[in-house]
Amino acid sequence: MFVDISDDPQATPRAMAGRAPDVFRPGGWVPMRCHRDDEPVDFVIVGTGAGGGTLACKLAEYGFSVVALDAGPYFRPLEDFASDEAEQTKLYWTDDRITDGANPLQLGSNNSGKAVGGSTVHFAMVSLRLRPEWFKSRTLLGYGADWPIDWREMWTYYEEVEQALKISGPITYPWGPKRPRYPYRAHPLNAAARVLARGCEALGISWTETPLATLSAPRGLAHPCVYRGFCVAGCSTNAKQSALVTWIPRALAAGAEIRDLAMAGRIEVDDDDRVTGVHYHREGRWRFQRARNVVVAGYAIETPRLLLNSATDRHRDGLANSSGLVGKYLMTQSNQAVWGLMDDEIRSYKGPPSLAITEHWNYEDNGKDFFGGYAYMSQGPLPQLWANTLAQARGLWGARLVEEMTNYNHVAGLKIVGEMLPQERNCVTLADEVDQYGLRIPRVTYSWCDNDRRLIDHSLAFMTRALQAAGAKDIWAQEDDTCHLNGTARMGDDPRSSVVDADCRSWDIPNLWICDGSVFPTVGGVNPSLTIQAIACRTADRIHAMARRGELTGSSRRAAQTRTASQMA
Amino acid sequence: MSNDTDWLVGAGLALSAIAATAMLQPSPPRRLERKPASLPSRPGPHPRASVRAARRLNRAAGMLAASVLADSSVEHYRGSFKNKAMYTPLAVSALTLAMSAHGTADRRPWAHRLRDGSYLLAAATGLIGTGFHVYNVTRKVGGFSWQNLFYGAPLGAPMAILLSGLLGFCSERVRDTSRAQRPHVFGLPAARTIAAVTAAGLLGTSGEAGLLHFRGAFHNPFMAVPVTLPPVGAALLFKAAARDPGDDKTRRHPLTRAWMWLLAAMGFAGVGFHAYGVSRNMGGWRNWSQNILAGPPLPAPPSFTGLALAGLAALGLMREHPDA
Repeated sequence: MFVDISDDPQATPRAMAGRAPDVFRPGGWVPMRCHRDDEPVDFVIVGTGAGGGTLACKLAEYGFSVVALDAGPYFRPLEDFASDEAEQTKLYWTDDRITDGANPLQLGSNNSGKAVGGSTVHFAMVSLRLRPEWFKSRTLLGYGADWPIDWREMWTYYEEVEQALKISGPITYPWGPKRPRYPYRAHPLNAAARVLARGCEALGISWTETPLATLSAPRGLAHPCVYRGFCVAGCSTNAKQSALVTWIPRALAAGAEIRDLAMAGRIEVDDDDRVTGVHYHREGRWRFQRARNVVVAGYAIETPRLLLNSATDRHRDGLANSSGLVGKYLMTQSNQAVWGLMDDEIRSYKGPPSLAITEHWNYEDNGKDFFGGYAYMSQGPLPQLWANTLAQARGLWGARLVEEMTNYNHVAGLKIVGEMLPQERNCVTLADEVDQYGLRIPRVTYSWCDNDRRLIDHSLAFMTRALQAAGAKDIWAQEDDTCHLNGTARMGDDPRSSVVDADCRSWDIPNLWICDGSVFPTVGGVNPSLTIQAIACRTADRIHAMARRGELTGSSRRAAQTRTASQMA
Repeated sequence: MSNDTDWLVGAGLALSAIAATAMLQPSPPRRLERKPASLPSRPGPHPRASVRAARRLNRAAGMLAASVLADSSVEHYRGSFKNKAMYTPLAVSALTLAMSAHGTADRRPWAHRLRDGSYLLAAATGLIGTGFHVYNVTRKVGGFSWQNLFYGAPLGAPMAILLSGLLGFCSERVRDTSRAQRPHVFGLPAARTIAAVTAAGLLGTSGEAGLLHFRGAFHNPFMAVPVTLPPVGAALLFKAAARDPGDDKTRRHPLTRAWMWLLAAMGFAGVGFHAYGVSRNMGGWRNWSQNILAGPPLPAPPSFTGLALAGLAALGLMREHPDA
């Protein structure tokens, strides 16, 4: 088979001229419906990850014309992904950004993605539902903010996504209301997962196999997982059910157009406060795609950045920002860990990194001195990441680092995904510096609050006991890691305290939508990807319903508010 | 994985396949001779019918043993023969296979001491192996859980060698009692006992397939076949076993016989489906040395063929012996 060696997906767009890469066949192509820039499409979607990729698929399947832009390359996982951590940093968003605050975030790996499919191309595949009470955490649990969506409605959308991704999960899930059976069975546990299980059993709490978006049996042209362990460096077998191999092929088949290496710079808004399209940079020049609706799905940093960068004289603070909350209430999740050495070989890098989980402290409210919850999972750091962790968290270098690395095969760890509280001061703003496109770069400000620290302290103490009970020695805590980003364009019932409504439609501009993790009012103690995709499925259904009722064009905010109010009632 | 061991496993698979095919070869057609004068005249069917049934049972036992030899070779190799006892089923099933070949060729109307011994050894291996497998599952964290039933030592697998031993042992009893008024096993009518044992074996094997196909989420609709056809076959066999011979003059059981042939074919078709399943793993058959271990087990489905052959042997005996 002939593969053009000049075919560098990071230099030249691949989705062009009526065809897009077939991710399932080396060198293959699938047909793609293409639109002219001056032809107004129903939806331009900025971003093709968990939010945008899902929405592109669903909207195209509902018959809308869709163009989805992504700043990143259109990778072919079977050909482009190496078993090499350094090479695979190409999947991360490493453009210039400024971080500050009391606890500046480390950006660029586990909280970003720059590829068609977004960060789902290298996510850890952990696919969890939010605890039902979290959708009303202000009312029921006394912290954070309420979501404008009922958990029972989310439950049906979670099921849709779990089916669409053929999630491999346990037969029975120990926590929360009954959920339908996962479409595929759980994967075999690796030794690292059994360490978690032994710790839980010793401390008398439940554990289970982690529901994962990687195949435990064949699916179409996608192979089942081979337990290669490079999941977070990009899956080269297509077992990982990323947006790139699930929603996007469906979107293409339904007539959506994907444009890779297309960086959105500004959303155009007219004098009637309607958006008219998106300025984007592709093949060395700025272009303008006309659209009847624009969806921003660039995740919690790029979404507010684009809205803020689109400011006009009429919208001086950026688009959709009459509440002043665009960019505010950024939430990361705590990602602290305890590590220890086991007598037996663990080889934790074998298989998906987080095969076992306990959500005990997400569902148990007694015995906590903090709001929120956390899950913790078994870990499987690849060698370079592990060396970095030892160097950064423990200051090991030189001979001591080399010596510690000889224990690599015996390391077992437990790591939380912990809820951090929404704080207005944690935010994304624009810096004065500009990037390679001439766009102002984001400044990301983050500081933990006391509650965040109490949660972290609780988790580290508990996981230390669990690891001890499992038989680990030389236990130490990694105290400063964070992961996923959410917030910055929160949804709500009140235009004064939120950016979008429950349908992800902006309060200020009726044909501007935001559909990604930015809309989360709270984050909960679980990985957000499943919830982002469920929100996208719901948004697509709502858009479809509104279009059928003729509410997509010409609706005013007042009408939208009335609609939302009637939903609440 | 070293090339040597690759070839070893490959050779084991090939040998098993050849042996299995050989077992299935119909015995050369022979004209039924009249009774030899030396035998005293007596009522009832000719002992040769019993010997023929016994040889068919040897063949069924051999089929099962071949399946076990290939399956345990691959699976225990996959488990790196971590426990030395994991070599046992290989040795025992190879011996059982040889003894069954011997029995299939042997037309003498009496039991063979070595065959008897090896069949008993096979049965014991199955029982002890089940104990090992139960121990393996329960000692894992989570104990008797779906995770460990899916991925621990398969609880039902050693039953195949137990069944092989039992059928072989029954075969020897049928041979031994071929001169009696009616062939029997421990005083029970042989054909109906064997039919019942086979039916139970079909249910157990179907349960094993069901568990593992459930692990594969029945992602291919054909995965439902080995959990639907064999239980029907088992029910038909049980019915045949329970039927009062007085009510059933011809004792032909055409539907049950046809169903057994269907199951025998299903066992072979299953190898084809499993080969397709292997191809759906990363690298397909080009990466055979990994995917034979990771994909669905190629040698597992023919155990249905072995049981179906045993069912046919029992039905054949039933037809010829009203009291069997």
